[in-house]
Amino acid sequence: MASILNKIKISWINGRIKSHQTKHDFNSSFLPIRTSYLESIKANKLKILDLKYKNQLLPFEIKAGIKSDFVQKEFDEAKQEIEDKFSWKERAAKQALIRNNAQDTGELENLKIEKNNILASIKDKFYLETPLKTDVEAYESNKKIINEAYHLKVQKIEEKFSSKLAAFVTKINISIESHQIALKLLKTSLSKVEVNVKKEVFDEDIVLKIDNLSMYFGGLKAVDKLSFEVKEGEVFGLIGPNGAGKTTVFNCITRFYKPSDGDIYFKNNLNEIVHLNDIAVHNVIKEGIVRTFQNVEMIWELNIIDNLLVAAHTMYRSGFFGHLFNSRLLRQEEIVMRKKAEKILLDLDLLQYGYQYPLGLPYGILKKIELARTLMINPKLIILDEPAAGLNDAETTGLADTIKKIQKDYQATIFLVEHDMGLVMDICDTVCAISFGQKLAIGTPKEIQSSKVVQEAYLGGE
Amino acid sequence: MFDTTGFWQKTFIFVIVLVAIYAIVNLVFLRKIKNKSKIQNIMINVLLGIGIFYLFLRIFKVIPEFFDPGFFFMQTIVNSITQVCVLALATTGIVLIFKTSTTTNFSQGMVATFGAFAAARLIIHFAATYTELGNTTIVLFGVLGGGITAFLLGVCIDVFIIRKSKVRTPIGKQMITMGLVLVFSGAIPIIFGTLPITIPRISYDPNVIFTLFGKTLSITVSAIYALGISIVLLGLLFSALRFTKWGLGVRATASNEVVASMMGVNTRMITAFSWGIAGLLGGVAAVILAPNSGNVQVALMIPTQVNGFMAAILGSFSSFLGPLVASILIPVLTSLLVFVVPLWQNAVVYIIILVIVLVKPFGLFGNPIAKKV
Amino acid sequence: MLYKNEMYKERKAKIQAIKNHPYFGFVILTLLMLVVQLLRVVGVDVPITILRAFGLTMIYIIIALGFSILLGYAGLASLGTAGFVGIGTYIVGYFTKNLEVSIFLIILITIVGAIVIGTIVGFISLRIEGMYLAIITLGLSEILNEVFKNAVNITNGTNGLGINGLVLFKNIINIDHNTIFVILAVFMFAIMILTLNIMKSPTGRALLAMRNSSSAAQAMGVSIFKYRLLAFITSSVYAFLGGVFYMSYVSFTIPTSWSLAFSLNILAAVIVGGAQSIYGIVLGTFMIFGLNLAVFQQIPLFIENPAISVVFNGVLIIVVIMFYPGGLIRLVNTISFKLKAKIRIWKQRRREYKYGVDSE
Repeated sequence: MASILNKIKISWINGRIKSHQTKHDFNSSFLPIRTSYLESIKANKLKILDLKYKNQLLPFEIKAGIKSDFVQKEFDEAKQEIEDKFSWKERAAKQALIRNNAQDTGELENLKIEKNNILASIKDKFYLETPLKTDVEAYESNKKIINEAYHLKVQKIEEKFSSKLAAFVTKINISIESHQIALKLLKTSLSKVEVNVKKEVFDEDIVLKIDNLSMYFGGLKAVDKLSFEVKEGEVFGLIGPNGAGKTTVFNCITRFYKPSDGDIYFKNNLNEIVHLNDIAVHNVIKEGIVRTFQNVEMIWELNIIDNLLVAAHTMYRSGFFGHLFNSRLLRQEEIVMRKKAEKILLDLDLLQYGYQYPLGLPYGILKKIELARTLMINPKLIILDEPAAGLNDAETTGLADTIKKIQKDYQATIFLVEHDMGLVMDICDTVCAISFGQKLAIGTPKEIQSSKVVQEAYLGGE
Repeated sequence: MFDTTGFWQKTFIFVIVLVAIYAIVNLVFLRKIKNKSKIQNIMINVLLGIGIFYLFLRIFKVIPEFFDPGFFFMQTIVNSITQVCVLALATTGIVLIFKTSTTTNFSQGMVATFGAFAAARLIIHFAATYTELGNTTIVLFGVLGGGITAFLLGVCIDVFIIRKSKVRTPIGKQMITMGLVLVFSGAIPIIFGTLPITIPRISYDPNVIFTLFGKTLSITVSAIYALGISIVLLGLLFSALRFTKWGLGVRATASNEVVASMMGVNTRMITAFSWGIAGLLGGVAAVILAPNSGNVQVALMIPTQVNGFMAAILGSFSSFLGPLVASILIPVLTSLLVFVVPLWQNAVVYIIILVIVLVKPFGLFGNPIAKKV
Repeated sequence: MLYKNEMYKERKAKIQAIKNHPYFGFVILTLLMLVVQLLRVVGVDVPITILRAFGLTMIYIIIALGFSILLGYAGLASLGTAGFVGIGTYIVGYFTKNLEVSIFLIILITIVGAIVIGTIVGFISLRIEGMYLAIITLGLSEILNEVFKNAVNITNGTNGLGINGLVLFKNIINIDHNTIFVILAVFMFAIMILTLNIMKSPTGRALLAMRNSSSAAQAMGVSIFKYRLLAFITSSVYAFLGGVFYMSYVSFTIPTSWSLAFSLNILAAVIVGGAQSIYGIVLGTFMIFGLNLAVFQQIPLFIENPAISVVFNGVLIIVVIMFYPGGLIRLVNTISFKLKAKIRIWKQRRREYKYGVDSE
């Protein structure tokens, strides 16, 4: 009785930890985005204000004959504009001459003269030689007034933004802190409770444990008392001839099939051991297991970034009514997720496809996008169903690099089924060979290569 | 005979009892039998249906009020023969198209109505010109004419519309046929005028009295003709499906169109022909039905169409025999229910079908198709 | 000069932002509707038939929007729309005429009813998929139609049910059509915004994922059960509300209105316009309903042969499915895109003619 109560307690605490963790992660990733956004707005406003102030001061400066940087810039701008205008006119005139096969260059000369005249007049206007004394005085007095107003405004903007930013930062920091405290408390209480509960025996570094898994289709034994373990952080390959039951194992892990017999255990992100047999298909991803499909399964009506966002579906905290009314939380979450998707695409060299639609993209790219999609939820275990199927050699090597990179950068365990022996031998740390649903051999790629049983299964013994 | 005040309570009890019995029998007995054959399956289902229906009659206390339940049953079945024939023809057409084109043809009824209008015109024309011919001959010619018109129309639909479509998904094709419903329901009044046309019965001879299992029953001559026509047509169709090269082609196309066309089966010819035959069956059905429902009008075949779909779903689209059985069950059930729940018979039948389909999504005689991930 | 340039850029960006705002088109559409109504109120002689056509079209737009979530996003083809809209009308009719319940309460009741019915149909859709669903929902619609015809106490049978006005708080008040038209326009605007929010949100993406491949959707954490139910509930709430608006605007309902033809027309509107775009649905609804109500019924040929417009709808739906699977809105987009490209080329040519070819 007590143990059941403790189990309930543990699962409750784990749920709390999960929710605090997601909120904490969300807040800490939203903080820099929002801050940089506010800062860019502020910078833009200040820039325009500065320009406005200088523009107000400009006539007085010109009259007082002061050659400040801004006057110079303004003069350059005006000059540039006139030159541009005349260059177009000249081109038009030249083109007209060419069209009419005429030799008359009088118009061009006229244009040049006109341009020089206007330029000279502008120079006169900007570089007044002898300023009047009254103008200088007016400049001085006006400068004071305008300067004061400018500083006031700048101060106001600074205050407004800094208060906004400070309020936001403190709010977020408080919430981050509170989540951290809550997490700490929860974890200590968890450790207290866990002392009393007998845990399933599970080695430290094992992520996935398959125990006596069997799957029957009618009379056919697709998988027969299969058991193996996947270590954390490794690339685990499952190989076997056609019809060996590899995909069935996959589908049992991801709950598309209900195994006839046997248990599947998984250690999730919270180091909690989950009995996968009790979990619904669509909840598997919440534990940190993502899969890809043999034939790429894209959402053809959405662009690549949106395709990635679909995979982040379980990470959204806003509910249906939040979506219906486009709530503030949803908008914030969308921004955070979009940034995350862009970052993942950048990591995998796919950002140029971000706003394209999957229809018409090459197959190799789609496979890579599917890989990118698995990374959206910080996966613990990525399951790849024949990643190299339908790819050419160059694409396969590219894929192998990508998989290695994912394993290294995202600290994910990768479990794959593959026919391409080159790829398997290249990237896998451990390989398990099965035939007719039964385990033949397990070990490093070299051991498997030299194993006689495996060779017999592939080539057919006597 | 039946007080309408307690209708809802009784219907509720009935539905509950039906579901409960079916569930119990299914759980306790049917699940135990391993590797049932198809015929066994059908037999079990038919037995179950009869049992449930008997119980249903007991609940509504119908049987004691009739002096002879056997007579009541048989006479009702005999009375609904025309409906059964019409529904069987229409349903077979729908299933045939489903088999070859993998779509549910909503325009079947409208094509048939078109055929019926053509037949009506033909009959009027014949009756005016060839006065020496008898009524029966003229109407039979009309049936033929209506069937042929609908045949041509069906072929045209496949050749000019379905085959030319960019969208070849089942739901896309289904929507094209829904569009065709609109086109025909607008085009028929424009072509044939807005006034309804009357078609005479096949025969106005007095009812035939005959004895079956010691019960004396009466049947109209038209119904006999209808039964004969449908048995001949369906018999021809089924034997063609079983014994001719075309039938083999249909079955090959039904199982996999692409592979069939690669193996040298002329799938275009087969789909066109099956659309035509579906149209023919519908057209004949419409001409048989028209005198029963008063006259030929645009909405003539809509109830039959809906019933045909229901029968096809109830009996499973994957077989020909299942829908046929279902299309016998539905009119009989409806005409029996008239005595129990007057006015509500159609709704009750649909509810029953809905419940059955919810329990068995692939119909009474169908088997689930395994999904591949 | 510098400051001016900067301000000009800023203003241009602001205008662009307003133009590109997703609600901009909705505001324009609603304003257009209100202007038509305003003209009538001011005294310009807008034909009452056109006004009524616009009113009805707005109601149908609301219904079609719900249907588009079902068909375009969840990929579920249903023919039960007519029955659902019918229930909405009869709820208003019965509660107003016999019980004198306030319209606000009636809307609440309809929403609850829609949730119940949507849940039932959603459960059905979990068992029956694809083409069969259309047939089963057709059967459901037939059952509802039988109920409308035969439950004489509530629905007044085949004679149809009429109301004299609505109950706002206590008594039946006859609200004139102009007011209801304005309320309708506002509601249409709100519902368009809500629909767009659903379509662009994670919910919309989850629905699309489910439509593309249910197994991939499940692998990504989308619960098929939840989203099927959600799609059906949403669409039936829209349909029921459409029924409420219809009854408020037309004040009369009859079983024959809610037959298969109505469902097919709504389907046609959604498909012809383009099932995944709100503007597409607006376009489609105007093509299927608005054109018939506002334009065709003014032309003598069509008044004599009302069937022509039905043929037109049918031909439209067939042609669109056959040749423009994305709906007319995609055609419009393609044409405008091509036109813009043409204009760009034309401008380029003009430039070259005037100034010569760029040397770079």
